[in-house]
Amino acid sequence: MGTSDLDRQIEQLKRCEPLTEAEVKALCLKAMEILVEESNVQRVDAPVTICGDIHGQFYDMKELFKVGGDCPKTNYLFLGDFVDRGFYSVETFLLLLALKVRYPDRITLIRGNHESRQITQVYGFYDECLRKYGSVNVWRYCTDIFDYLSLSALIENKIFSVHGGLSPAITTLDQIRVIDRKQEVPHDGAMCDLLWSDPEDAVDGWGLSPRGAGFLFGGNVVSSFNHSNNIDYICRAHQLVMEGYKWMFNNKIVTVWSAPNYCYRCGNVAAILELDENLNKQFRVFEAAPHESRGVPAKRPAPDYFL
Amino acid sequence: MAEQERRDAEAGGDAAAVASHASSMQRVKVYRLTDGGKWDDQGTGHVSIDYIEGSKELGLTVLDEEDNETLLMHNITSDDIYRKQEETIISWRDREAATDLALSFQEAAGCSYIWEHICEIQRNLQFSNLGALEVGPRQSSESLEASRIMHSNDDSFRSANGEFRELPPVELSNLPFILKTVLEGGITDQIHVAELITQDRDFFPKLVDIFRMCEDLENIDDLHMIFKLVKGIILLNSPSIFDKIFSDEFILDIIGALEYDPEVPRVQKHRAFLKDHVVFKEAIHIENVSVVSKIHQTYRIGYLKDVILPRILDDATLASLNTMIHSNNASVISLLKDDALFIRQLFARMRSSDISMESKRELVLFLHEFCTLSKSLPLVQQLRLFRDLSGEGVFEIISEVLQSQDRKIVSAGTDILILFLNQDPNLLRSYIVQQEGNSLLGLLVKGMVTDFGEEMHCQFLEILRILMDSFTMSGAHRDIIIEIFYERHLDYLVDVIASSCPLRSLSRSTSNSVRVGGNAEGHRIKPEILLNVCELLCFCVVHHPYRIKCNFLINNAIEKILTLTRRREKFLVVAAVRFMRTIISRNDEHLIRHVVKFNLLKPIIDVFVDNGERYNMLHSGVLELLEYIRKENIKALILYVIETFWEQDELAKFEHFGSIQAFKLKYNQYMESVEQRLNASVPDMRKKAEQRGLEKEEEDYFNEDSDEEDSGSGRRPKHAQNQHSKPKPKVPNGSEADDTDGASRPKSAGLVDYDDDDDEDFNPPPKEPSRPAEDDVPLNISPVKRKPVNAVDGKHADGEGRRRQKIETRISCAKIAAVTSTAIKHTDLQNKHASHLPTSATPSTEANGVFRERGTNSEEHQHSVENTETSRQAGSDCIKDVGSMSPEKAVNTTNTSDSEPYSVR
Repeated sequence: MGTSDLDRQIEQLKRCEPLTEAEVKALCLKAMEILVEESNVQRVDAPVTICGDIHGQFYDMKELFKVGGDCPKTNYLFLGDFVDRGFYSVETFLLLLALKVRYPDRITLIRGNHESRQITQVYGFYDECLRKYGSVNVWRYCTDIFDYLSLSALIENKIFSVHGGLSPAITTLDQIRVIDRKQEVPHDGAMCDLLWSDPEDAVDGWGLSPRGAGFLFGGNVVSSFNHSNNIDYICRAHQLVMEGYKWMFNNKIVTVWSAPNYCYRCGNVAAILELDENLNKQFRVFEAAPHESRGVPAKRPAPDYFL
Repeated sequence: MAEQERRDAEAGGDAAAVASHASSMQRVKVYRLTDGGKWDDQGTGHVSIDYIEGSKELGLTVLDEEDNETLLMHNITSDDIYRKQEETIISWRDREAATDLALSFQEAAGCSYIWEHICEIQRNLQFSNLGALEVGPRQSSESLEASRIMHSNDDSFRSANGEFRELPPVELSNLPFILKTVLEGGITDQIHVAELITQDRDFFPKLVDIFRMCEDLENIDDLHMIFKLVKGIILLNSPSIFDKIFSDEFILDIIGALEYDPEVPRVQKHRAFLKDHVVFKEAIHIENVSVVSKIHQTYRIGYLKDVILPRILDDATLASLNTMIHSNNASVISLLKDDALFIRQLFARMRSSDISMESKRELVLFLHEFCTLSKSLPLVQQLRLFRDLSGEGVFEIISEVLQSQDRKIVSAGTDILILFLNQDPNLLRSYIVQQEGNSLLGLLVKGMVTDFGEEMHCQFLEILRILMDSFTMSGAHRDIIIEIFYERHLDYLVDVIASSCPLRSLSRSTSNSVRVGGNAEGHRIKPEILLNVCELLCFCVVHHPYRIKCNFLINNAIEKILTLTRRREKFLVVAAVRFMRTIISRNDEHLIRHVVKFNLLKPIIDVFVDNGERYNMLHSGVLELLEYIRKENIKALILYVIETFWEQDELAKFEHFGSIQAFKLKYNQYMESVEQRLNASVPDMRKKAEQRGLEKEEEDYFNEDSDEEDSGSGRRPKHAQNQHSKPKPKVPNGSEADDTDGASRPKSAGLVDYDDDDDEDFNPPPKEPSRPAEDDVPLNISPVKRKPVNAVDGKHADGEGRRRQKIETRISCAKIAAVTSTAIKHTDLQNKHASHLPTSATPSTEANGVFRERGTNSEEHQHSVENTETSRQAGSDCIKDVGSMSPEKAVNTTNTSDSEPYSVR
């Protein structure tokens, strides 16, 4: 798969037209070779723009790129949850993956709790693949790739980024090193917590998560984690915030949410966090793509049918 | 609630606004142009469009908001006098008032609402004129009459409690009102509206007429309104309305109306697509007309749902449409499957040799769709259908399909198998265990390693996994299938890996610079296929621990699989690490001993060291593996890893990683505890122990060969066998292994063979076998004294082993299970494994399978299992009070003393 092929595919995906099954397979294999070399705590250089959940809202992601700049001109770090819920999980994830393969150093993708075989069977990605391709092979390729996605990122040694949050099993970043991430997101343990946990004001220390996986963690947990790992703050996604971003615990942790009008009905705005080379922060807030800019749903059903 | 939200947000955003802000929407200021050219404020009131009293014409009326006086009354004319300015002003030259009038709206929405009305009324007036010309005056005046009566007051449509009594007739001029009625109101209103629409037999015919007329006239605004109306009607989510609009009579026009989405800039060509591009294929002619009609309908509803309205439908409506599709599918499949003639024809055609490739292909694809859609049937019927199909010979047909050159139908064939497996895996299993079905398993295995180009690479893996899933299998099929797989296919898969990897591992020095690709002599197997094979092997380790263990131990399969570490693709190297991790996570002492004996962690440690400081999945995978060994306290491996790799393989230089450090620490703790013990209780041995405590450990684990030499005849066969199958068993990778071998060999001379003791496991009552095994350990210290005991045990066991060897390999498992069931109880280990499996009898059979096939050799392993197993369980608690040569022995000794009371009993 040459660069020109890849560029063509990226252009195609930018028009929200999905790739063929064969192209997806080839892309995933290529991505596998790249992702296998990445760390569980992937190092990322500034400047970089951090993005939260996308959830298959393809046209809103295009707004995101409008606001944040195109890849590779802008470096991106996506904090997971690319799929499920929206109508274009396939196109969304494949575009990000194609960008990753094309510009491996310019875009970092880490895993969210929705990048999982189990979850995607419930929240839409599986059905979407079946609907758009008539078979679940594309779902299989994509979920296989999910297992290779990194678990977290560390920006200039100062900002720890993860999809969900902290884990009682992880007090130092080095403990993440010994996770064998090539697996389905487990139901408990460090890897699960990183993808599932939430910060919570009302909790002191650790609390049970209503999500049924991961934990709730309080400000003191964040303070001591940041202190012992010598980081400025944690940047995470995973929770809808109406304003697009939200600081907690005295600026020790920030939630970034990048799916405007979540599920096409929540009425929230979205945000991305731009960090310049000196780690100065700027949040850019954006709204859902106007209706007109959304094309017709790309899906064309099978052109023939027996039954 | 969600539904309502969504409706507000998406479906009826504008209409909802009308509902909640009706009064503010109607609020206007009336202006009149004075002679001086100034706009004069005439007052503020609420505007409405209605029939003006005493007139047949519709007009604008503004009533003062304070005193309800009429501020303005204006007959709407068909003349082009109205202008909309900005967002909120409508103005016109009023003939009666002989001046310009203007309405300034409080809200833009209200303005456009009235504006649309005005335009529609104008159009209607024009139509009436046209109609009058073409059809004659009667019709138009009649309809006007009618609408006048209906429309003269909104109240006439509502009963006292606000319920709608009836809808105005469907006419263009009434559409805004109908639209409003459909979109507004609470759930009860909507139910009522749905009823009214259903009851009105003319509703859809008329609506379709209007739509066609507007389309002919390219009247985009009205088409947009009709779109909104149809959308609104669909969102009423009424099954009886769906029945109507999805009927052959209306569905295409309904879809046509939905082409005019005002929010999508270009008109969609859905009908053209459905008419011109979509092909209904009849692989087998379907006689029943109603079935055919249902098939079309299902496709169109699906199209409507997935293509036309996906972002508009709310969850409830979506669910209704899905239900319709589902029940349509169910009745189609049900009618077809009960049509004996149809099924017979289908299978006869598929079997027939004189049909074209193309028709064959169609038939397979049809069968695929047929099986896919059968998911809509109730479970019981589904099962029955699949049973019937397998009775008709579906698997033979698939077997043939799998050998086709046409990848698309091979893919369809595998999908059909997966459908069957998901429904009832035993159908396929019982086919495979028959003589004629045997070959299908072979085809599946072959398919797994076949390069299908860009398509398909995981279906075969999935099929084999379900087929051999020991957690869901039951009965005799399971054992037979596993037996067939292991006998005929496993080695092949292992060899596929071995032959696709470089023969020699790349030496450390060259590996970083030049990494040679796959073995040139080997087959060119695609990496993703190797990945799948490795994946399947991991699965087998988890699911058939006993059966695969036997195979692994005999054939050195693990070593072959680990040649994956020599591949250039890092994800294959990582897969190899994962495979080793799976092996080790069995916590099976046989396997662990095997790993140590054949130095199988060497390739893993080598790639880890080669990888250097790079923090990637390989790095993390190996660290996790070591972490697991440390946490599980698998002493044999801890000692083996440190003693083999710490110095010469430079694992030491990774000590700055916490987990490596912890691993070394664990090792040191063992060593220290040995020392303490020596100091405390065996002073005379201390010196010796200090000198060679570490090496002693090695001896225990590395020197089975020398053990064997020491031991009696029982050993030799095994030794010979190993030597035979692999001349240099310990040396997978070259010189370093040789060193290890050489180093450990001389020291092992003093060890006593205790393998024979294992043999006892076969027959005696539960507790005994482990005790003698433990007794062996002291034997290492005082060999002479214990030897006779061993010899006796050994003979006994030996005989047992041989007898077992004679038993047919493919025996009735139950019998063996019964005979050997006691063996399970012998070791905790076995119990542990047994608990993973549905029946305890089978594991024991498998375990015995090992013995059967390996004879005394396997018995040795069995022994070592118990030996190490017990030591592991003893844990560190016991270590303190024992003095011994090596930690390993110390533990064993402890166990021995612990278990003494039992032996006395």
